[in-house]
Amino acid sequence: MKHILRRSFLLATVATTLAGNLPLIAAAGEAGTLVVAQPADAYSMDPAKHSAFPTANILFQIYDGLVTMDGKGELVPALATSWSNPDPLTWRFKLREGVKFHNGEPFNSQAVKFTFDRALDPNFKAPYYSRIAAIKSVEVVDDYTVDLKTEKPFPTMLLSLYEASFPALIVPPTYTQEKNGDALGAAPVGTGPYKFVKWVKDEEVVLEANPDYWGDKPKIERVVFRPIKETRTRIAELKSGGADIAVDIPPEDVSSLEGGDTKVETVSSDFLYFLAFDTTRDTPLKDKRVRQAINYAVDVDAIQQALLNGTGNRIALTLPANGFAYNSEWTPYPYDPEKAKQLLTEAGYPDGFSIPLMTRKGRFLKDSEIVEATAGFLRKVGIKADIQYLEPGVWGQISEKKGREGITFPGWSGRDPNLVWFPLLKTGQYQSYFSNPELDRLLDEGGATIDAAQRKAIYEEAAVIMKDEAPHLPMIQPPLIYGLNSKLNWKPRTDSMIDLREASFN
Amino acid sequence: MSSFLTSRILYAIAVVFGVSLAVFFLIRLGGDPSALFLPPEASVEEIERFRHLMGFDRPLVVQYLDFISRALQGDFGMSLRYEQPAMQLVLERVPATLELSGMALALSLVVSIPLAILAAAWRGSALDRASLLVSLIGQSFPAFWLAIMLILLFSETLHVLPPSGRGGWQNLLMPAIVLATYSTAIITRLLRSSMIEVLQSDYIRTARGKGMSEGSIIFKHALRNAAIPTLTVIGLQVGALLGGAVITEEVFAYPGIGRLAIQAIANRDFTVVQAFVLVMAVTIVTVNLLVDLSYGLLDPRLRKSK
Repeated sequence: MKHILRRSFLLATVATTLAGNLPLIAAAGEAGTLVVAQPADAYSMDPAKHSAFPTANILFQIYDGLVTMDGKGELVPALATSWSNPDPLTWRFKLREGVKFHNGEPFNSQAVKFTFDRALDPNFKAPYYSRIAAIKSVEVVDDYTVDLKTEKPFPTMLLSLYEASFPALIVPPTYTQEKNGDALGAAPVGTGPYKFVKWVKDEEVVLEANPDYWGDKPKIERVVFRPIKETRTRIAELKSGGADIAVDIPPEDVSSLEGGDTKVETVSSDFLYFLAFDTTRDTPLKDKRVRQAINYAVDVDAIQQALLNGTGNRIALTLPANGFAYNSEWTPYPYDPEKAKQLLTEAGYPDGFSIPLMTRKGRFLKDSEIVEATAGFLRKVGIKADIQYLEPGVWGQISEKKGREGITFPGWSGRDPNLVWFPLLKTGQYQSYFSNPELDRLLDEGGATIDAAQRKAIYEEAAVIMKDEAPHLPMIQPPLIYGLNSKLNWKPRTDSMIDLREASFN
Repeated sequence: MSSFLTSRILYAIAVVFGVSLAVFFLIRLGGDPSALFLPPEASVEEIERFRHLMGFDRPLVVQYLDFISRALQGDFGMSLRYEQPAMQLVLERVPATLELSGMALALSLVVSIPLAILAAAWRGSALDRASLLVSLIGQSFPAFWLAIMLILLFSETLHVLPPSGRGGWQNLLMPAIVLATYSTAIITRLLRSSMIEVLQSDYIRTARGKGMSEGSIIFKHALRNAAIPTLTVIGLQVGALLGGAVITEEVFAYPGIGRLAIQAIANRDFTVVQAFVLVMAVTIVTVNLLVDLSYGLLDPRLRKSK
């Protein structure tokens, strides 16, 4: 029965396509078509002109960066084949030869220079400008060698050049300059494994395999990205065969998708859930013992079990476990409410205190549920957290004025202490509500050192201070949960970018 | 008649202008969107630079005057997300929404008018009670819930209808049913009670006394008189359908203006929200104007008095 229906859908698809309409149901999984259902449509086909992951997921199939992330989370060659640091202020990249853009333009150092010059132009309005802002200039050494110059040593350069740093995807110079860049924004041309076919706004983006791809040839002929915001509808598309990858599945739906025609892939994301404490204002949070007490008071493991079905990854410090310098021997504070009460008494708060808890609602997976459970644990040791849900725009404005008070649940991501600890904990940084001169010294040093071994040693020292000073309550790397067609071979990545280069059907 | 028309049109313009004022300031109460467009690690200077580029650092009144003076020249600003003219983004999606709400309106009229007439003609019958049940259920089902139930049944379980997208009648069916449910209920209830009222009036009794057939009494006399209040409600339902399309389009991932609006609100894409609200306001005001004018066609007395 199902088979017949499928076939009639196919017929309907063919009929409407012939009539010049859109396919009703891309017959997912059949005839080499892969359909990805994600919550939002693309905003632009220009990689430097957007700031949204759903858009980036589409563009990463069309474009390549100089480097890419492999299945183990390592940064490996892509359009660059090797790199070195002739001096601490220079990153030199050897480029892959013989690569062509989809329109036949050659890929070379001019293309790299053009890409960065364009996105770094202050008048260009690249929303992700700050990801690449450390690059002061791009110098062409020869056709296949470029130097990226920085003003200060920039150890995390590779993270600024791989695909999650959106404006670092390489664009073709000649084509991009056509119609003031509007050509690229509507019909993109990259070096990637898939070529652009069409974009019907709010309906679908269709891509087809690039037979001349420089890497392994894509195994699936056609890829369709469909924007479906409503979770239940994405799940319905997956279950009824209309989608092969459904992004952002809630933990409670996992069991219903395991088995039969569907399966589930889960990975702990690079994202960080933690509580941050404002130590700049005169509140009990200024006292280290109070911050430690909060770390003892909240049973994060129980929260993870109850609200995330045990998915995700418990972290000991505010850094993803797959991030640079993370040491698996670090341990979080154990759940010990008695110890928490004792510390509060020592600090002079035997009866606890009241404190605001600022957060947003519905921004991250289960955010308000986690915050409310946390407040419940705090209440047990006498701390009354007054939860304030802020509108995203209001949160932004308050943050800008350094107005986050009490306890906050800010969310952050970054795979290097220099991208997490520095902005969040270094004295005076705009998002920092903490100050410790010794930690400042180490963070400065770590940010100015290129040698990986030296950097690890520096951050190991910083970690000791962070554990003791407890400027945060580190919680969880939340999971990324995908519902898949059971015939599809594809693995999700921790940075939430969808890479279809290796995807295939059984 | 012409003075009536003029005053109605002036009134309509005032309404649209008032709506533009309200939406402009209301959406800005939720805060400045600059930080939302930048990565979380963006510095204060970076946010300020972006804000200046977007013009959000100017006083609100200046921003409004700028918006209104451009709007009068047909320029509704660029979408902050899409880097395209906001009005173009909205208008591109109008056909899809018209298709959906047109189908829903047709569906609700096809069901409600015969149901209401029959219910009024056989008052107290099983059919009449069924019509009451239909309108009760139709008014109490939340569209969102109904949409998900339909998807569970027809897409997930039976695999006969696609849960999302646009293309053919299969894609239109479930969203149109969801959207039509409420209107069907309202129109059925109202037309039925109007018909009953008219059927009890003196001139119907006279007509019956003259020996007119029941059919011509119902269709020639009663229906025409019951049509006026019903038409008002149908006019209002056009607004409700367009409004309802916002939720329905979102659930069924239907590419109309409603879904664009929800995303624009979530993204604080101010210019798109403004353009959407203006298009809705103009549409609803126009439909109401047409309804007002159509009374004259249905009722000769109204034609003369104006």
